[in-house]
Amino acid sequence: MVTIYIDGVGYEVPAGTNLVDVAKFYADNDIPVFCYHPKMAPVGMCRMCLVEMGSVEKDKESGTVLLDEQGSPKIRWMPKMQTACTQTVYDGLAIRTNTQQVTEAREDIVEFLLTSHPLDCPICDKGGECPLQNLTMRHGPGVSVFYFEDKMHLAKHVPLGELIYLDRERCIQCARCIRFSDELAGDDVLAFHERGRALQIVTVSDPPFDSKFSGNTTDICPVGALTTADFRFGARPWELKEVPSIDPYGPEGANISLSTRLDRDSGGGIIIKRVMPRQNEHVNEIWISDKTRFGHHHTRHIDRLVTPLHREKNTLIETTWDKAFKQIIDKLKGATSVGAIAGPGLSNEDLWELRQLVLAVGGSEKSLGIWPATMSGGEVVKQVGIAKGSNFNTMGKGTVIVLVATDLEEEAPIWWLRAKAARDRGATVVVLNGRPTKMDRYAKFSLRHEYGDAVGAINSLTAHIVNGNHHKADRAEGFAELQKALKKVKADDRYAAAAEAIAGADNVVVFCGAEGVTLAQHAELMQACANVLILTGHVGRTNNGLIPVWPGANTQGAIDLGYTAEATAELLQNPPAVLIVAGCNPVGEDIAAANLRNADFVIVTSQFDTATTAIADVVLPQQSFAEREGTFTSGERRVQRFYAAQGVIGESFPDWKIFAQVRHAIDKSTAKVSAGAVMAEITKSVAAYSAMGYKNLAQVERQFPDVGGTDQYYGGTAYQNTGGIGVQWPVSAENAEAKLNVVPVSSEKSKAKGLLVVPTTLLYDRGMLFVRSEIMSLRIPPAHANFSPADAQKLKLQDGDMVEINLEGASLTVQIIVNETIPAGVITLPKCLSDQPGPFAPMVAGSIEKVAQALAATGD
Amino acid sequence: MGLINGLMTTIKHVLQEKATFQYPEVERPVRERYKGRHALKRYDNGMEKCIGCALCAAACPADAIWVEAAENTDDERYSPGERYAKTYEINMLRCIFCGYCEDACPTEAIVLEHEYKLSFTDRRDSIYTKDMLIDPVPPGGQDTPHQVEPHSYDRPIPDMENPK
Ligand code: SF4
Ligand code: SF4
Ligand code: SF4
Ligand code: FES
Repeated sequence: MVTIYIDGVGYEVPAGTNLVDVAKFYADNDIPVFCYHPKMAPVGMCRMCLVEMGSVEKDKESGTVLLDEQGSPKIRWMPKMQTACTQTVYDGLAIRTNTQQVTEAREDIVEFLLTSHPLDCPICDKGGECPLQNLTMRHGPGVSVFYFEDKMHLAKHVPLGELIYLDRERCIQCARCIRFSDELAGDDVLAFHERGRALQIVTVSDPPFDSKFSGNTTDICPVGALTTADFRFGARPWELKEVPSIDPYGPEGANISLSTRLDRDSGGGIIIKRVMPRQNEHVNEIWISDKTRFGHHHTRHIDRLVTPLHREKNTLIETTWDKAFKQIIDKLKGATSVGAIAGPGLSNEDLWELRQLVLAVGGSEKSLGIWPATMSGGEVVKQVGIAKGSNFNTMGKGTVIVLVATDLEEEAPIWWLRAKAARDRGATVVVLNGRPTKMDRYAKFSLRHEYGDAVGAINSLTAHIVNGNHHKADRAEGFAELQKALKKVKADDRYAAAAEAIAGADNVVVFCGAEGVTLAQHAELMQACANVLILTGHVGRTNNGLIPVWPGANTQGAIDLGYTAEATAELLQNPPAVLIVAGCNPVGEDIAAANLRNADFVIVTSQFDTATTAIADVVLPQQSFAEREGTFTSGERRVQRFYAAQGVIGESFPDWKIFAQVRHAIDKSTAKVSAGAVMAEITKSVAAYSAMGYKNLAQVERQFPDVGGTDQYYGGTAYQNTGGIGVQWPVSAENAEAKLNVVPVSSEKSKAKGLLVVPTTLLYDRGMLFVRSEIMSLRIPPAHANFSPADAQKLKLQDGDMVEINLEGASLTVQIIVNETIPAGVITLPKCLSDQPGPFAPMVAGSIEKVAQALAATGD
Repeated sequence: MGLINGLMTTIKHVLQEKATFQYPEVERPVRERYKGRHALKRYDNGMEKCIGCALCAAACPADAIWVEAAENTDDERYSPGERYAKTYEINMLRCIFCGYCEDACPTEAIVLEHEYKLSFTDRRDSIYTKDMLIDPVPPGGQDTPHQVEPHSYDRPIPDMENPK
C-alpha cells in the first residue's frame, strides 16, 4: 500500500495500480477519460484526463514527509498538467483535480472533440449511455467559439463487416476498438488510416472485421461510432429492461444482460433486443463472444415449436398437453427400460427433475446421458478441478497455462481471451494438440502429438517430471504403481522443457478438451492431466487445477447431477424401451446416434423440429433460456443464475416443470412450482450444491475496476452485475488432508490403418439453436473438411473439391480445404456444419470419393 | 324600481350576442396555440419529419407515446437520416395534452393541433397509430417511402446554424 493525495486528502491505495482506477475506487473521484480503458494499456491519446500532478516532498535523510505551516504535506507540483491515465501510483503522489486550470483543460478538450461531432444524439444508439454526452454535460463548456459550418461531414454508414457499422463522424479516434482487437483479442483486423482530420478507422482483414469478439468494441467505444447490425435503432437505452442471464452456449458461463422491450412486430410481447455483457470479474470480466451476443434469435424464431406433437399414422400432429402427458405417463409406467439424454442447455433444475423422473420409473444413473457425449472425467474434476476462488485476472508471471487437445478460441472464447491476457501479463502457455491453433501464436511450448496419442503426450510430461525428480508425491495415492508404469513410458525429449516449466511454476492451470480423442481415451486423458497436476502440487490452491473444456453451457451441472457421457454411449448402443431426449439433437448431429430409432417410444423436448424430433413419438415444446429461470454450472464449477426475460412462446414449458408434472402423476410426489424450489431440493440432496440456494447465488459484490455503474462513461456499456456473481463448489484437493489418486493410464495408440477423421469444434456451427440467428449466417462456414497437402495430392484432390467421405455406414458430403497446418494422415472435420450427421469421435475413414470439381478448377 | 332594474339587465342580455354555442351543430374556433390531438408533420416533398428518436416518449409525463424505430435506406426512405419511426402510437386516454413531446422533438415533427373531438367506445380505440396521426401528403409531395439518390438525405436533423 502507498499513500497518495487527491485534492489534499490522503488515501491508502495498492502500489502499482493505475491512478484513474484508484481515484475512482478509493476517492470516488471520477477523472474523465475517453481513450483510457481499465482493461487495456494506457496510450494517453485524448488528453481528457489531464490533472495537476506533483510529489510530496520528503526529507532526504530520514524520508519523512515534510509538512507546511497548516500541517499538510508539502508538495512539489509539476509546471504542466499531466495525463492521469498514464500514471501508476507511487508513494507520495499528489494530484489536484478541482482547480481552474484542470476545469479549463477539460472544457477545452470537450469543445475540441465537439467541433467535428455531428451531435445526432437523437438517433444515436449510444445516446443515453454515451460517455461523450455524459462528459459534455459534466465538463463541457456549454458554448463553442467554433463555426458550425466548419464541421466535418463524413460517411455515417460504413460497414466494417456485416456485424458492425462505423459512423465516421462520431468517432473520436481514441483507438479503443483497435487496441481491443489487437492487444486483447489478438486479431489484427482494425487500423487507423490517414492522419489528421482525415484519420479514420478501417478494417484490414478479409473477411472484414474477422474477429470472434467484434461486438465488444461497440461496448467500449466511448461514442456511438460503432454499432451492431443486430441492434441498430432497436430501442433507446433507457427504454430497455435489463435482465441478468447466462450465456447459453459455452462452458465459460459468461454473464450477460438481456436488454428487453415490448415489440409490436412480435405481437406486443417482450423480446430480447440485444445481449450485453454483465460484469463478473471472476468469469468474463466485461467481455462476451459474438456467438453469445448475436446468437439469441432462436428465442423467438418463427419456427419455434408452440404446441405438443404426437405421432399418429406415422406423422407428428398437434395435440394438447393433457393428451401428451397421458401418453407419456402410460408408456413410462409400463416401460421395461428407461433412459434419458440431456442436452447442453438444460439447467440444473431441468436436469434434476429429469433425473428424478427416470429414477422414479425404474431407471438408474447408468441411464442418464449427456449430450454431446464427447468428454468424460467428472470424478477427476471433483478431485483436482480448478480451485475455488481462482481468477485469470490474477494470473501472470509464474503461472503456466496448459492447453490439451483443445482449440480454445473456438470452444471457449472467453477462456481463450482471459488465458491470453494472463499470458500477456507474463504467464507461460503450453499447447499440446495434433495441429496448431490460434493459441500456438502465444505459446512458449507448442507441442504436436499424433492424434490419438494425447494420453501418450501427457505421460511423457509425467515421466519427465518423475524422472527428473521434480515431483511431490506426498498427497498422491497410488504413486508406486504410477512410477512403475512410467518406467515403460518412453519420455519424448520434446516435452522435457515444458515439463520442467510446469514443475517449477507457482501456479498451473490445465484446460483439457477432447479433440482427436475418443470417449474412452478422454477418461484417461483427464486422469493423465490430473497426474501431472497432483505430482507437481498444482491442485487445491487458487489459480491451480484442471478446467475441462466441456462442450455445453451446463455439461458440468449435468455431471454433478449424475449424468455421464458413458451412459450416453451405452444408450446409443442399446436404446432403451422408452427414451427421453431433452433439448438436443443427437440424431441430426452424430452418426453414432442413428441407432436411437430403435427405441420403442421416444419423448423429445425441443424448441425446434430436428432430425431427433423426426424419430419421436411425442414432442414437447421446451422453453428457451430466455423465458425461464434456472442455473447453469460453468466449467470452473461456478453455479450461476439466469432470470426469465422474455414472454413465453406458444404453449412451451420449462423442462423441469414438464418432468416434475409427469413424475407427480406417476408417484404422487409433490410437483415443484418454481425453479427455486427445485434448487432448494438439490441443495438438500447434492452435497456439492448445499450452498447453491437462489439467495446465495444472487449475492453481488463491488468489483474492480468499476464498470457500468450509473456513470457509464468509464468502461463502456458492460452492465453492472445485479443478478449475482455465482458460487463455486470446492474440490476435494482443497482439503489439505485429502489424498488424491494418481493412476497409470495407458498410452496405447489405436492401430487402425487409413486416414483418421478428427472431428473438431467450431464456435459458429449449424447447431439447432445457433443456426436460427440469421445475422451470423455469413460467419458459419460451409460443411468442409481440412486435408493435408500430402493427402490431397495422394487422392488427387484440390482445394474446393466436393468429396463424399464414407464412415462406418454413414457418408458425408463436404467441401475440402487443403490446409498445410493439418498433419498428413489426418482429416479434420468440423462438427455440426452439415445437414447430415457427422462423426463425434475420431475414426478411420473408409473410401473418399470426389463428387464435384472445385469451381476454380473447372474454370475455362 | 328594483324589479325594472332587474328586467333591464335581462333585456340587455337577451339582445346581446349569444356567448354559448350549439355544440355539436356549431363549433367554436379554438385559439392559435390550442393543444389538441397531435399530428406528425411532413416536409414539403412528403417525407416524414419524425426520425423515430423517441425523445417525445421520454419527455411524456403520462407515458402515452410508444415509438419503435427502424433503419432508412436510400431505396426506402421515410425520413431524412438513418432512422425513422416504424411504429408510432399515442394513447389519447393517457395523454394529458401538456405538449412536452412537442418541446422535446428535435425535428418539430410532432405538433399538438386543434382537433379535440376524441371519443371512443373501446379503450383500445384510444391508441392512435402512425397512419392516424400523420398529416396528409402535401400537394406536389409524394407518400413515403421515397426512393432517393444515395447520400442526398444523410442528415436526420436540419443543419445547425451559427447564432445570428
Ligand atoms: S456519440 Fe454520443 S454525443 Fe455523439 S451523437 Fe452519439 S450520443 Fe450524441
Ligand atoms: S470507433 Fe470508437 S473506439 Fe474506435 S477509435 Fe473511434 S471512437 Fe474510439
Ligand atoms: S415525434 Fe419528434 S421526438 Fe418523437 S420520435 Fe419523432 S422525431 Fe423523435
Ligand atoms: S489521455 Fe488519459 S484518458 Fe485519454
